[in-house]
Amino acid sequence: MTTQVKPPPASSGVAPRQPSQDGFAAAPAKPPPAMAVAAPPAPARESRKFTVAEYIRMAETGILDGQERVELIDGEVLTMPPMGPEHFSGIMGYTQAFRRFPVEWFCLLVQAPLWLDEYFAPEPDLALLKFRADNYWGLRPGPADTLLAIEVAKSSLQYDREIKAHIYGRAGIPETWVLNLPEDCLERFTAPGPQGYARHDILRRGDKVRPVALPDLELAVDELLPPAGAGE
Amino acid sequence: MTTQVKPPPAASGVAPWQPSRDGTAAAPVKPPPAMAVAAPPAPARESRKFTVSEYYRMAEVGILHHTERVELIDGEIIVMAPIGEPHATGVDRLTLAFAEVSRGRFIVRVQNPIRLNDGGAPQPDLVILRLREDFYISAHPGPGDVLLIIEVSDSTLDFDREVKSRRYAAAGIPEMWVLNLPEDCLERFTAPGPQGYARHDILRRGDRVSPVALPDLELAVDELLPPAGAEE
Repeated sequence: MTTQVKPPPASSGVAPRQPSQDGFAAAPAKPPPAMAVAAPPAPARESRKFTVAEYIRMAETGILDGQERVELIDGEVLTMPPMGPEHFSGIMGYTQAFRRFPVEWFCLLVQAPLWLDEYFAPEPDLALLKFRADNYWGLRPGPADTLLAIEVAKSSLQYDREIKAHIYGRAGIPETWVLNLPEDCLERFTAPGPQGYARHDILRRGDKVRPVALPDLELAVDELLPPAGAGE
Repeated sequence: MTTQVKPPPAASGVAPWQPSRDGTAAAPVKPPPAMAVAAPPAPARESRKFTVSEYYRMAEVGILHHTERVELIDGEIIVMAPIGEPHATGVDRLTLAFAEVSRGRFIVRVQNPIRLNDGGAPQPDLVILRLREDFYISAHPGPGDVLLIIEVSDSTLDFDREVKSRRYAAAGIPEMWVLNLPEDCLERFTAPGPQGYARHDILRRGDRVSPVALPDLELAVDELLPPAGAEE
């Protein structure tokens, strides 16, 4: 089954985004956080890893402020960059689209952590969880609860695609979508396994997409990407 | 490195997506640029830095256990290398040499914290402190209280010499010694500045050494290094 990669539909009337124009795309990877003083590469020293339990305790005791944008990745507390307007709109596009489906199909997790294992509590932009009438009150949703993880990626594209999607796949989350704003497409990762997702598809404007675990939930890629002429 | 998009595994548990079913697009595609699932070079995300007070709070609330060998360097909690026998011997030799002559002159602090102004709270092997009646019971000593810092180095030689020395110098600590066990010598760093210590001397067995801040104290390098021939 070989399907050709479709070019972005010409009929849509939407000029393909010019990544370079608005400084979106392939921003050169930032150098690693600079050691305040050392110019030469610092000899490796191991950071103290934190467990999820310790991470929770940091929040409970006020070491981490509830308003801080952080996530626990491989035992390290990482700061998440501030969100730009496109990121907000991307999240809004999804939440608007999800509203038309019956509430008992899923619970929508918005910018809250998924508790994957002892050293990973990443925060996806959105996730669809198995429906629970109690909204997971007092619980910490994990991979077995998760149907779909969603990232909206602008400057975070490389990180979302290579690190976050890999982590979600390894944890057994059945599917991850990365809304790739710089390249104006939706990247879909399926078939999770110990090495991450085995399958990676690119969906473009004009395509429709349905989560593996929720086959009746159909979205148009166009309703997730910016509308024609947006931001000009 | 190009990653081949693998077909979905037959027994994934989740029904594979059927792109042809409803004419939605899709299908195996070229991997996006720079896709590397296996060993991704981590795109930069910054570690959440911790302040000295957050670091001590972690100890108070039990996130960090008092038996853990960690230190705060540049806002990062670093696991200290386990202390081997030669290292322990070096610390004991230094402690004896300084403690014997300390009464009424200075305080010898062994593997305990000091405060740096940049958010660091290192635990040097030995710190020679200005004499204070209260022995620093109300607050850990700061850079102005320190006359000399000594690190004993075996496996941590590069880290001590390159990273720690710069930090101590930038903090204005007048002098640092590294008891270099692999090379059986004492390295002496003086003339601190924002970029590190401007002066670096190597002292060998047979030499004598006096700290800049304690000119009337003279020690033989032989009494600081492990006893000659001890390991044979």
